[in-house]
Parts: sequence; structure tokens; C-alpha cells
Amino acid sequence: MKKFKNAEYLISLFLSILASLIIGAFIMLANGRNPVTGYVALINGAFGSKYNIATTFAKTVPLVLTGLATSISFRSGISNIGGEGQLYLGAFGAALIGITFVNLPGIVGIPLALAASLIAGGLYALFPAILKVRYNIDEVIVTIMLNTVAVLLTSYLVNYPFASEIGKMGGTEIIAEGYQLSRLVRLSTLNTSIFYVAVISIIMYYLLERTSIGYEIKMVGQNSNFSRYGGINVKRRMIFAMVVSGALCGIAGAFEVLGVHYRFLQHISPGYAWDGMLIALIVKNNPIGVVLMSIFFGALKTGSISMENATGIPSELISVIQSIIILFIAGESGFKTKIKSFLANRRAIKKAGEKNA
Amino acid sequence: MAEKLIELKEITKQFPGVLANDRVSLDIEKGEIHAIIGENGAGKSTLMKILYGLYQPTSGEIYFKGKPVSIKTPLDAIKLGIGMVHQHFMLVPSFTVAENIVLGVEPRKNRFMMDYRKAVSITEELSKTYGLKVDPNAKVESLSVGIQQRIEILKVLNKGADIIILDEPTAVLTPQETEELFKVIRKLVEELGKTVIIITHKLQEVLALSDRVSVMRQGRLVGTLKTKDATEQILAEMMVGREVLFEELNRIEVPREEVLTVKGIKARDNRGLMALKGVSFSLYSGEILGIAGVEGNGQSELVEVLTGLRQAEEGSVMIKGVEATNKEPMEIRNLGVSHIPEDRLATGLSKKATITENMILGYHNREPYATKGIHMNKKPIRERVSRLIKEFDVRTPSQDVTADKLSGGNMQKMVIAREFSFDSSILIVAQPTRGVDIGAIEFIHKEIIKKRNEGAAILLVSADLDEIFRLSDRIITIYEGEITGEFKRREISKKEIGLYMTGKRKGMRQGGVQDEEI
Repeated sequence: MKKFKNAEYLISLFLSILASLIIGAFIMLANGRNPVTGYVALINGAFGSKYNIATTFAKTVPLVLTGLATSISFRSGISNIGGEGQLYLGAFGAALIGITFVNLPGIVGIPLALAASLIAGGLYALFPAILKVRYNIDEVIVTIMLNTVAVLLTSYLVNYPFASEIGKMGGTEIIAEGYQLSRLVRLSTLNTSIFYVAVISIIMYYLLERTSIGYEIKMVGQNSNFSRYGGINVKRRMIFAMVVSGALCGIAGAFEVLGVHYRFLQHISPGYAWDGMLIALIVKNNPIGVVLMSIFFGALKTGSISMENATGIPSELISVIQSIIILFIAGESGFKTKIKSFLANRRAIKKAGEKNA
Repeated sequence: MAEKLIELKEITKQFPGVLANDRVSLDIEKGEIHAIIGENGAGKSTLMKILYGLYQPTSGEIYFKGKPVSIKTPLDAIKLGIGMVHQHFMLVPSFTVAENIVLGVEPRKNRFMMDYRKAVSITEELSKTYGLKVDPNAKVESLSVGIQQRIEILKVLNKGADIIILDEPTAVLTPQETEELFKVIRKLVEELGKTVIIITHKLQEVLALSDRVSVMRQGRLVGTLKTKDATEQILAEMMVGREVLFEELNRIEVPREEVLTVKGIKARDNRGLMALKGVSFSLYSGEILGIAGVEGNGQSELVEVLTGLRQAEEGSVMIKGVEATNKEPMEIRNLGVSHIPEDRLATGLSKKATITENMILGYHNREPYATKGIHMNKKPIRERVSRLIKEFDVRTPSQDVTADKLSGGNMQKMVIAREFSFDSSILIVAQPTRGVDIGAIEFIHKEIIKKRNEGAAILLVSADLDEIFRLSDRIITIYEGEITGEFKRREISKKEIGLYMTGKRKGMRQGGVQDEEI
């Protein structure tokens, strides 16, 4: 029964993606482009060469982390919409370690930088979580506002106290060499962070699906009355989920610094946390789904740039496609009933026909 | 013979894993009150939802006034003059009565604006015609359940319904409200020529109200008979398919030991009003202490205080000599207290979770179900759940379906299975058989008595006086947040206890204390 449900969901997910790609094709046609060339260029761009594949996976890294972050918080029924802010603070924390303790070897320095980002992101999420469970202050509003605070704060920091000496470019100095995660494929930004992300994904899957903590988080999100009645410490679980969520976003920021830019930049994230949230919504907070959907989103992002270069179709089209997927998924249950009743009718008509004949 | 208004022919409805209706044929005559009874999960509601267009039958036909019709949506049903009042009301709490009644068929001033004054006058008109008193301007959220039901009925009538389906209308009503409702139904049928189909599983109601009764069991129609030819016994046997005897439950003497002491508890309800005004009593092992009272006199709040779900403002709760006032639910559970909550949907289970997930709560971090309290072990969990499902006769296609797929009685058995499997020495049981069918009631009662005979102390809160009388060793009455009397088993009649439940009499009957008439 559960498996049946999952299969049903996978089918609707597949159909949603297909439908949005078709709509994308119509948009291309309406603009006088050939959708076949467009999509071929997209796929080529995402997977056509070693470099392209590497870039796709490089783009996947932050999405997996922010997607998992959203999953754990949404599962527990507390909504962390502040991932972007936590990511910025985490990134800045890692950069700060990287430019301060320049003589540390990587084996000490990298964990230290990650710890700093994890703590920064986690603490930044702890604050709204406490407001929520203590005073019932809406965490959605608080976390959204804290995004702006974090982005502007770090922007100030890197333009004034921590501005790099080669001029005000809105970034810190380059972090010490020991902190720089090595690149895996020439020219691409794919780096060893992907291995860390693989480990984190496995841990998160285990935590959410196989442990009593994951079970409690799920129950709290589904029915907090029931959970409290059953002896679960609802507040503690909500805070835990929120802090882990913030920490994951912080780590996502750290990897942008340690693996991609080697410094903190004031616009370091083009909205990774928001994309992660979309991903988690699409796959209904399933950790495996987050990983797969992140790869898909990474491929779309990478491919769209090649597509624009090769065919002139603007890469923004991909954002349109992503949004349409969400629309379809949001309407999933509605579509499902329509289709089912249509099929049931067809069967009834057919049966009646047989009877008359 | 009366005109056949609706004929259902060979209706079959297949849900994944469950055959909800199996070739059911039924006819409804004009101007009758037709009761459909059956245990939970017998397929009564499904059948009516098919008639109302909420479900499509897998096969079978519906005839209306002799002509075949296809009812695909409730709109089709409404066009035919069929209206349905659901078990769970479908009202907008923040709207006024008038707004709710005209919802969907709003009178308009122009294209965009609703004519509220017209809505009020429509409501007043309806209210007068049908003799159902309501205040058109009151907000629905501030009204009692009985009144809300009245609004639902008016809403259906406003849409021009001639055939009204009532799905378990009395499940949420007090005895007085039920009486009121029956008067209304009789008026609708006798004076206004409407036809009423009522789904229920309360036999007395069927006998008191209906003209004909159809009995369903496990998706099939067992038979339709004239109510005047039926007795409670006949109907009960048809429902469960065997003889039902509410036999005397077997009690054995168990050593009595005080395990729960409640002193001077004061607490407020959700609206901030004083719901408990100093409640004191003791509970002993090996006894069932029944709390009798009209609903809303503080019973719910009392249970919540005892289980840690509500804060007491004054007073103390001692569990086996340990101070337990205002402790967290978890701490109270750890002291050996299990709780069957009165509202199983809101508190007793999670509808979206699977049966396994629902039944493992409380064990999910204990050995051997979780190694070191963290790693959950699938195999022992599944084994435990399937054993409990079998032991407590929870009828479900599998343990992986979500709880919302179960019928009310099976949901309750699931909750009871979980709570009774904790081996707690104190059981706090609220409305254990509300909305549960006869077969399950008997089963649940026997489980409760079994626990008592094993030495558990049981606090039973129930709005069903028969249940209180059948199970309790001792009864206390509660009225407006105060205890008004305490009686030993068989020391008092139902009629007399009513006086204490309504506050007309006060005082203990034990030890020669004089009754105090007010």
C-alpha cells in the first residue's frame, strides 16, 4: 500500500516534469526557436563532456545541502525559510577561520572551518526556533527577515572590517591554501566537497528514516498533539530540527567558500536555499528524492547556460520550467482525482456498452 | 404501497484492498424515515456518499423516480433534491450563520457583491418555516455542536433538498440535543413531506425514530425491515451476524491500593473559564472509577490535567506517592499511566502516519525496537504491531496503510491496543467506545475489565451512562467542575444519578452522609 502510494507519486512526478518540459518547448516555439535543438543543447550542456558533468555535480552540492535542510525542518512542522541567511553566515564563518588561522594544516583547518559554519548556521536558526516554541512567534516571518539581516551584515563586514586589500570588491582575502578543497576536474569547480556531501546525505537519510529521532520529528510534524500525548518532547524536537537545518545551510555556505570561490563574496549565493526549498517541496521532504532532484536541478542549471550559448534561448527559461514543475506537483492530488474519475467513467461507459450489445 | 423515490441496484464499491459495498440493493420510499445501521466499516457511509455523488460506484445503478440517473458530483445530487449532512460538519467557523447557510448559492447585489441582508432574511425565513431556531448573525465558531448541526440541516434545506441524508447525526450530541434533533426530523417528514435517511449505529435511536431500517454488515445489505417488526435484539444480531448478549462482566476481587490521589484541582478550559473548581478523589488498584456527567462539565479538562496535557492552577496530583502535578506527559507516562484520549483523531493518532508508526509510539525508543534508543529495528517493530493488530482485532488490509483508511472503530482499537500494551498500572480512559460499533464495544469493555482484574486502576470518563454503569465499581458525578456525588456499584439508579449529574442534588451517599437538596 505504501509502496503503491510511492509509485503513484513517482508517476505524477515524472508526468509533471514531462509536462513542464513540453510547455517549455512551446515557449521556445513561440519565440521562433527549435525546441529539439534547444533540449539537445541543454542535455549536451549538462552531460556532454567530462567538464559538463563535473559542472553539473558542482552545482548539485549546495542544492543537496539546502534541500536536506528544508526537508528536516518541514518534516518537523517548523518552517525554516531562513536558509539563505544561515548560508551566508556559515560561509562567512568558514572564510573567517580560513583567513585567520592561516598556518593550520588542512586536516585540522577544514574541520575547524566546517565547525565554524555549522555553529554559525545552527545558532542563527536556534534563535527563531526558541522564539517559536517559547513565545509562539511565527518562525516563517522571523527567518525570512533574518535572511536580510545576515546578507546585509556580511556584506558590511566584507566591505569594511574584512575587506580584501586589493580593493573593495565585496569579498574577503583568499583563504589559506590548507583550507582550499582540491578540484577534481580541470577548469570545473567540482571539488572534494562532493564527498563530504555524500557522507552528509547518508547520515541525514539514516537520521530521518531509520532512527527514533527521525520518527519523532515526523510525528511532531504530522500531529504535534498526538506526539505530545505520546510522550515526545515536541519543543525539543522542533528546536533540534531547526538547528540541524540551519547547520546544513551553514555548511552549504562553507563549501562555496572552501571549494568554489576560496573567499567569502558578498553575493556568494544566487539563492541556493530557495532552490533547495523548491527541491524539498517537489520530493515531499524525502532525503533520497532531494539528492536525485538536486542532480536534476544542477543539470538544468548547467545545461541552460550551454543552451543559451549554443541556441540563444535565454537560460531563464529553465527557471520557468522549474516553477511549472512546482505548479504541477502542487496540483497533484487535484489532477489525480480528475484523471481517476475520467478513467472510472470510461470503464463505466465501456461496461454499459457491452451490456447493450 | 408508497412511491419508490430512490432505488439503488447492485451497488458495488471497491477501494484498494477493501470491498466497501458488495452488490447492495436498497430502495427509499417517499416520506419515510429510513435508518441504515451497521457496524463501523460496514459500508453505510460509503453507500450514502455514492448516492450523494462523492464516490463513484465500481458497478451498479441508481434509479430516481423510476429513471436511471448518474450522480457524478454532489451538484448532480443537489439537482435531484438530495442533500447530505456529514458526520464532520463542513462549516466555515469564522463566517456567520447566514453566510454559512447561503454558501454556494449566495444572493447577490450585483456581479461581485453578496447581499448579506438578503442572506439574513433567507435564514430567518428558513428558520421560521422549519422551526429551527438560529441567530443569523452569530459566528459559527461560537456555537455549540447541536446548533452547528442545525445550521448544516438548514444549509441543505436551503438548497432545496427533499431527501436529507444524515450521517451519524447524534454521535456528537448530548441526549437533550438528540431529542431536539428527533423532533426536527419528525417535523420535516410529517409536516413538510421530506424524506430522511439516517445513518447510525445506535439501536435505540433507530427504534425510536425510523419507519424502516436497513441493516448492513461487511459491505452487504443484510436486510430491510419495518421498524415496528424490529427489536434491539433482532437488529443487533443482524448487525454482527451472531447473537449478542450484553452479559454480566466477570469481576474478581483484587487487592486495593491507592495509586492516584487528586486534591483540590483547579484548572481553566481553552476559553480561560474555570472548568475545574477544586476536584478531589482517589483511585485504587483493581477498580474502575467511572466519572459520570453531562459533557462539558470539566471531564475533558480533568483528564488533561491528570495526563499532563493541561496545567492545573491549584491542587495536587500524586501518582503512587510521587508528586505529579503539572508534569510533562512523558514523565507521567513513565510513572505508569496510559491514556485513551476522548478525541482519537486530534490526539490519539496521526492520520497521515501508517498503522505501524501509530502503534509504535511510546516504544519507538525502547529496546528491542530501538537499539540504544536510536537505531529503529524494523523487524521487531513490525512483529509487535502485527501481533497487536491480531490481538486487538484491528481490521486493516495491511500495517502499512495510513490510519485515515481505517473505520472509526478500528482506529479506536488501534489506540487501545497501543495504550493497553504498555502494562501500565493506571489507565485513564475517556469515551472509549464513542462512535464505535457494537461488536467493538463488547470487545473494548472486555479488555477494560480484563485490565481491572489484572490489578490496574482505571479511571473511566464516558458520556454514555450505560457504559459507566456496566463497567464501574465506583461512580463519581461531576457537575460544573465540581464533584457532586460518589456511589458504589449498584447503589444508585440511572434516574437518580441524573439528578447529581445536573447539579440538582449534591452530597456523598457513603457513610450515612445526608443528601443535600438544592
